[in-house]
Amino acid sequence: MNFLTIFARNLKQGPQTEAFPLGPAFTPDRLRGRIEFKAESCEGCRICERVCPANAIRFAKTPDGMTFDCWHNTCVFCGNCEFYCPTDAIHQTNDWDLSHVNADKFDMVEHGLIPNQTCVDCGATALNTAPMVKNAKPPLSTEEVAEVRARCPKCRAKYLKNRKVPA
Amino acid sequence: MGLIPNFKNIATRSPWIYRINAGSCNGCDVEMATTALIPRYDIERLGCQYCGSPKHADIVLISGPLTVRVKDAVLRMYEEIPDPKVTVAVGVCPISGGIFRESYAVLAPIDQYIPIDVNVPGCPPRPQAIIAGVAKAIAIWRERL
Ligand code: SF4
Ligand code: SF4
Ligand code: SF4
Repeated sequence: MNFLTIFARNLKQGPQTEAFPLGPAFTPDRLRGRIEFKAESCEGCRICERVCPANAIRFAKTPDGMTFDCWHNTCVFCGNCEFYCPTDAIHQTNDWDLSHVNADKFDMVEHGLIPNQTCVDCGATALNTAPMVKNAKPPLSTEEVAEVRARCPKCRAKYLKNRKVPA
Repeated sequence: MGLIPNFKNIATRSPWIYRINAGSCNGCDVEMATTALIPRYDIERLGCQYCGSPKHADIVLISGPLTVRVKDAVLRMYEEIPDPKVTVAVGVCPISGGIFRESYAVLAPIDQYIPIDVNVPGCPPRPQAIIAGVAKAIAIWRERL
């Protein structure tokens, strides 16, 4: 009898086999997959480079600014970089299908550039990184953040110090 | 005359897979075993089957960063696989060294020693990713045959 119950259940449920590759694959939302980088929200703190156990992340200074590279073929999808990133500039997508022919080996890289800018106060050349103003009290308005962003690190500190806090 | 293309058509349906462990941590090997052996992923739908001898293989899956100790054995085994063969590097270890990169004990990337056709990055890659890689390998293998 037991055999018949199992048989009936299997008839009702269909096979356990996943449809992939003949159909879409089941992908959990929080699957640890390919790294994605958003240069606009990066603070340039380089913590992700330091905590990466596989040395998959490289920052480099170039005449245009600071470049970011994450090599998908070295990354071990541990999630350390996302965990330590203060601004969520780096994050893990749930994209797992990274298989590629060997000729494309060196194209498997996430690239980003934090461009140089000229400080609006002193005219010095500095990186256009996202400002580190998370702990500022009271929180900065969007315009204030943009103003801080347009300055070099020294002038940013000055700006925040001289900022008039509404009573 | 007509027989030979027929044989070819039949043969291209069923590539046999062989697995070489070039010093892997076993993570990728477990995923490869999962891919092949449990009904949930069932790679035999693609006509593939694992075989026990390199002499029967068509597609070879390599995992691990090629440690110095296993190098000779791996190269000898690779030589035994008849042509045309397609090589798939499973996991980031054979592709770049991954977490073991720049160690004195590993010789990765493995494509310095063995021609690699398809890479499946991941540490380990999930079974679906391995299936996607094997599907790419089968396409390449059909062209070579
Ligand atoms: S991505 Fe995040 S952790 Fe990395 S440098 Fe930018 S802000 Fe810092
Ligand atoms: S997920 Fe881990 S290995 Fe990959 S880039 Fe981030 S820290 Fe490095
Ligand atoms: S890629 Fe990761 S899971 Fe696979 S053998 Fe290397 S260390 Fe182990």
